[in-house]
This record gives sequence, structure tokens and C-alpha cells, in this order.
Amino acid sequence: MSHWIELNVGPVHPSTHGIYRFRVKLNEETVEDVDITIGYLHRNAEKICELSYFVNNIIYFDRMDYIDAMNMELAYLRAVETLMDMEVPERAQWIRMIMAELSRIAARMVGIGAVGLDLGMLTPFFHTFHEREKIQKIFTEASGGRQEVNYMSIGGVYQDFNEKIINEIREFISQFKGKLEEMVKMLLDSEIFWQRNEGIGILEPEVALDYGVTGPMLRASGIGYDIRKDSPYLFYDKVDFEVPVAKTKDNLGRFLVKVEELRQSIRIIEQCLAKLPDGPYFNPKAKKSAMLLLKGQGDVFTRVESESGEFGVFIRGDGGVKPYRVHARSPSFKNLAVVPEMTRGVLIADLIATIASVDAVAGEVDR
Amino acid sequence: MSLLVRIHQWLSFLGNFTSLGLAYILQTIFILIFVGISFVALIYIFRKYMARIQRRVGPNRVGKFGLLQLIADLFKLLGKESIMPERRDDMAYKLAPIIVIIATMLAFMLLPFGNLAYFGSLAVTHSKVTLILMFGILSILPIGEILGGISTKSNYALLGTMRAVAKDISFEIPMMISVLAIVIVSSRSYVTGGAITGGLSLSGIVANEIIPYGIIEPLGLLIFFISMVARASYSPFDLGESDSELISGYTTEYSGMRFGLFYVGLFGMVYLSSFLISILYLGGSNGPFDHYVGFIYLFIKTDILVLISFLIWVTLPRIRIDKFVNLGWKYLLPLSMINLVYAGLFVLYIR
Repeated sequence: MSHWIELNVGPVHPSTHGIYRFRVKLNEETVEDVDITIGYLHRNAEKICELSYFVNNIIYFDRMDYIDAMNMELAYLRAVETLMDMEVPERAQWIRMIMAELSRIAARMVGIGAVGLDLGMLTPFFHTFHEREKIQKIFTEASGGRQEVNYMSIGGVYQDFNEKIINEIREFISQFKGKLEEMVKMLLDSEIFWQRNEGIGILEPEVALDYGVTGPMLRASGIGYDIRKDSPYLFYDKVDFEVPVAKTKDNLGRFLVKVEELRQSIRIIEQCLAKLPDGPYFNPKAKKSAMLLLKGQGDVFTRVESESGEFGVFIRGDGGVKPYRVHARSPSFKNLAVVPEMTRGVLIADLIATIASVDAVAGEVDR
Repeated sequence: MSLLVRIHQWLSFLGNFTSLGLAYILQTIFILIFVGISFVALIYIFRKYMARIQRRVGPNRVGKFGLLQLIADLFKLLGKESIMPERRDDMAYKLAPIIVIIATMLAFMLLPFGNLAYFGSLAVTHSKVTLILMFGILSILPIGEILGGISTKSNYALLGTMRAVAKDISFEIPMMISVLAIVIVSSRSYVTGGAITGGLSLSGIVANEIIPYGIIEPLGLLIFFISMVARASYSPFDLGESDSELISGYTTEYSGMRFGLFYVGLFGMVYLSSFLISILYLGGSNGPFDHYVGFIYLFIKTDILVLISFLIWVTLPRIRIDKFVNLGWKYLLPLSMINLVYAGLFVLYIR
């Protein structure tokens, strides 16, 4: 006969970043089973999208993965633009790419900070947020919004890059390299950090594929799958970057993959800044007065590599000014679903560390 | 002449017993005020220090440089509603924070604070067994934690209590064995080589500690330091609390001033353990002109140790409970045995 208690990790718990609930069946300190309940942040985004114009829906996508808003917008706009056969000017595409990578860095900063926080280490969190704040200043300069930016619009971007923004990005990139190494060193130099992460939360590649896990979690399980490389969008085929892969399959691997991706993101932004051409920053077909009249017909599914994996958007248009159906394939949802497989038989402390390394964003899980 | 005797003399017109009693009470209050003030300063320094490490500013709004922040926090905690769980064991629930705070305060009364200029010795207690009393009181502290955790009937509190107890037990034994080694070493004067008494009182140990015992037995210092870190249970070792896992461990269901008392108890243990390390291993109040400024030596040593503790607090991730308990049983316990044997051999050699 086994004795167990049921521990309620969430919905309000310091280490479920966002709102979801883990019902953990505990035998002393050992996790026997995890049951995940989601839906606390469900805002009906997909249905709301059917009710408003194509251009108005961008803000709902901002609020899906709210820490990586640029990539969400990008995914939606790629779908909409494909649906409408809308050309995006070259300059706007490069700008989108810079912003998407900056947004990825900002989101990773939250993720890496949270890893420290969930291991009981408060300091890295403040350092990463300090860096994130600088990116948000750039976003504010470009779009007026810190987190929910609403920067990209159909056929281009809301506002062109001026000298100030470009200088700010250059400045950020040049100082971020050193700061990143410093922050990573703070975590990796600690013996306890290795003890807490090495060999914890093993995710076998077969299991990952079964569950549809993507993003850094899949890459840490040894499968180098990245939309930016495998099905390039924007100009990702014109820049030089690598997709890091870890063979360790554990929390440590996931952490290291995320860190290496940050370095690659910096490389991409540097190349983008060098290649940024002159030209229009939006397609005149989608000028502000004509934006609400844009129509689309047909089925479209497009994908981007968001911070947590493969973010796909499906849109069906019936020839009207509003979409008939919008669906988002959210990577966090899939990544979170595999947590019970990863944490069977570990200690409760390891469960928390694993949740931190999965880094699911509740807004995107529930949509 | 000690402060106690001085106060006794001033009050001698009240008769012998009354004046002695009053002198004890007055000096206790005096030390409590001192400890209280240095406590507030300590928490203020901690918050500023932590903020600097974390690229923040820290408290800077209430009073000049935010110096009154702690007072404001105190009033905030006092004014807060105390939310109690419905299924609590009422008496144990209310008793637990009081046990923690009283035990912490009592422990401060036993410390040999050393001499300060005109006042003479500041020590309150002149018992011959303060060492035993001290560690007796330190073993009362976990009872407060256990009562607080069990009485709330919350799963988080239960798990937190289990961890706290496991941790306390596994570090209690190495700690006591390394203290035993101190008693053995201080049983013989290494100036004259003769046997001396008073090895069971903290002041007796300090009096004999002309060379700090940390130099004679560094292994003991290491073991005692780690054990005291574990006992004080601040952040990377706060397994009873584990705020990212168990919300707040055994203090989960406490709010308002009762939670504040646990918090004060935590800082009290950090301070007390630094005092104990500097008294037992770093020479306490000994130093040049210690008849006049001994207290200041002790204070400086303690504060350096407190700052080291704070540095550990803000820079290390939390260690996992099984690894931590293993550290106590598998490494520190055998090491403390070796240290004990070494202390015995050292005393034999000195003779």
C-alpha cells in the first residue's frame, strides 16, 4: 500500500509562471504523477479573431505569447499576407527580422531568469530583466508599446526605423554580448546549478516527437529542428546562423541550447543591421485608409519559430473583410503536455526545475 | 568591572537583592535594545546589499536613504490582518512564532559580548555552563518551526516541516561534535600548558582563545560554519521554506506580525550564528587592548561573517534536500569525528 498526498502546484504558485495548475501526487517527496489543468487564462482569442477585421486581430496575437509578442504578430501577418497575396517590401522584412530576434532575446531573458528563480536564486532574474528592459525601450521607441507592441502591420511595419532606433540596437548588441556571458557564468559556475539540472527531466526524442514538442526542448533532445532553417521565412536563408543541438536531453541541455540560441540571435541581428536596405517600409496597397477593406479568400497555414517552438497560424478566409476561422498551433501547449512524462519519479524540487526549463507561457497555452 | 556590577552599585540604595534583580533586568533591556538596533541596521544593510548585487536601488523612500523603511515595514506588519487557516490547531499555531522569537532573544542574552571602555564586560549571563545553555536553546528553535508547520494542516507546511526537521537533525550532530572538539581544545591552556576550567562557558572559551581556534582546527571551523548555515536556513539552504517549491514552507499559512516574527527569527539566527562562529572559532573579543575595545572586535568579526552569509544568500541556487541531507550524514559527520580525534591529539601534544 502506498501513501500519498495530493499537492496543488498552482494556479497561484510562485513557480508556475503564468497560470496553470499541476495536481501532483506525492509520495513523501517523490512525484508519482502529475495532472495538468489549463484554461485559467483562456480569453477566447481565436473566436474573437473571427469577429473583427484582419488588421485588428494583431493585438490578440500580441497577447498570446505575451513575452514574445513580435514573433506572434509575425506568424499571424505571414498568414494574412499569404492569404491576401500581399508583397512586403524588402526593408520591412529586414526590420521584422531584427524585431523578431530582439523579441526572442527578450523572451529568453525571462526564461533564463526564471530558471534561476525557480532554483531559489533571485539574483540572475534581476540581471536578465535589466537587459530585457533595454529591449523594451527599443520597442517603445519603435512602436509605443513595451510588451504588447502592435508594431508590425499588414504589408509592412507601423513605423520606419530611424537613426536613433538603429543606434540603440547597435548599442544594445555591443554591450549585451558581455552581459550574457556574465549572466550565464553566474549560473553555470555554481556546482549546485549543475547538480540541480544535470540528468533531471529527461525527454527522450521519440517521446518528444510523439507529443509534438518543438523549439529548444526538441533541440535539447538531439533533434535539430528549427523553422528558420528548415522552412525559411523572411530572409533567414540569407543570414548565417547555426541551430544548436544538445544530446543530453535534460534540463541542463535545454538551458545551454537557449543560451546558445541567444548568441545566434545576436549574430543574426548584426547581419541584418549590416544588410538593412533603403526603401519603403510598408506596401502602399495596405495604407492606413485602405486597411480595413483588405479581403482574403482560401486556406493558409504558416509557421514561424517563436521563442518556445513552432508557432503556426491557420486562417480560412471567405472573401470578406474578416477571417472565417483563425487557429493557432501553440508550441507551449505541446511542450507543457509532455511534463508528466518527464517528471515521473523525480523529487518535487526537480519538478519545479523542469517546469522552469520548459518555460511555457500561459497566454499561449490557453490562447 | 562588568556593567552588571556597575548597575548593581548604582542601585545599591535599594538593598542587595532588589538592586541585583533590577540590574539584571536593566542590562537585559540594554542588550535587547542594542541587539534590536543592530538587527534593524542588519536588515537594512542586507536589503541595500542585495539590491546592489541585483542592480536595483533598494529602500530609499522612507526617511533619509530609506533608513526608516524597516520601521515602516514593522508598522505595516502590525497593522495587517492576521489570516488564519480554519482547520488549525489554535494553540500550537499561535505559540510557534513566539517560541521562535523568544528562543532567539534568549540566545542573545548568553553571548559574552566582551569589554567596552568604561562599561566593562557587557555580558549579561555569568553562568559557568553557557555553552550548554546556548545549544539547548538552539534546539528549542526547531520546535517552533515544527509546531508552526504541523498545526496549520497544510500540505505545503507539512512538506516544509519534514524538510526542516530532516535538515536540522542531519546538521545538529556534526555541529555538536565540532563544539565538543572546541571544549576539548579549550580544556588546556596553550600558554602555560596546564589544565583550566571554564571550558563549558562561552566566556571561559573566549578567555582561553588567544590563538583563534579556527587556526588550530580549521576543519572544525568549516564544519561548524556549514552547520550554522544550515541551521540559520537562509536562502540557498532554506529547505523548510523553499519559496519556489513549497510557496513558503512552514510559514505558508502565517500572515501579518506572526509571519514577521518568523522572519525576525531567521535574521536573528543569521546574526546569532555569526556571533557563535566568531566567538568559538575566530577569537571572539580577543585582540590588542581588548579590555577597552574587545566588544568592537567581536562586532567587526561578526559583521564580516554576516556579510559573507548575505553573499551566499544572494548568489547560490537552492540545494536539493536529498543532496543536502547526504552532505550532513556522509561528509560532515565523519569529518567532525576526525576533527574530534584531532582535537584530542592536539591537547595531548600541547601538554
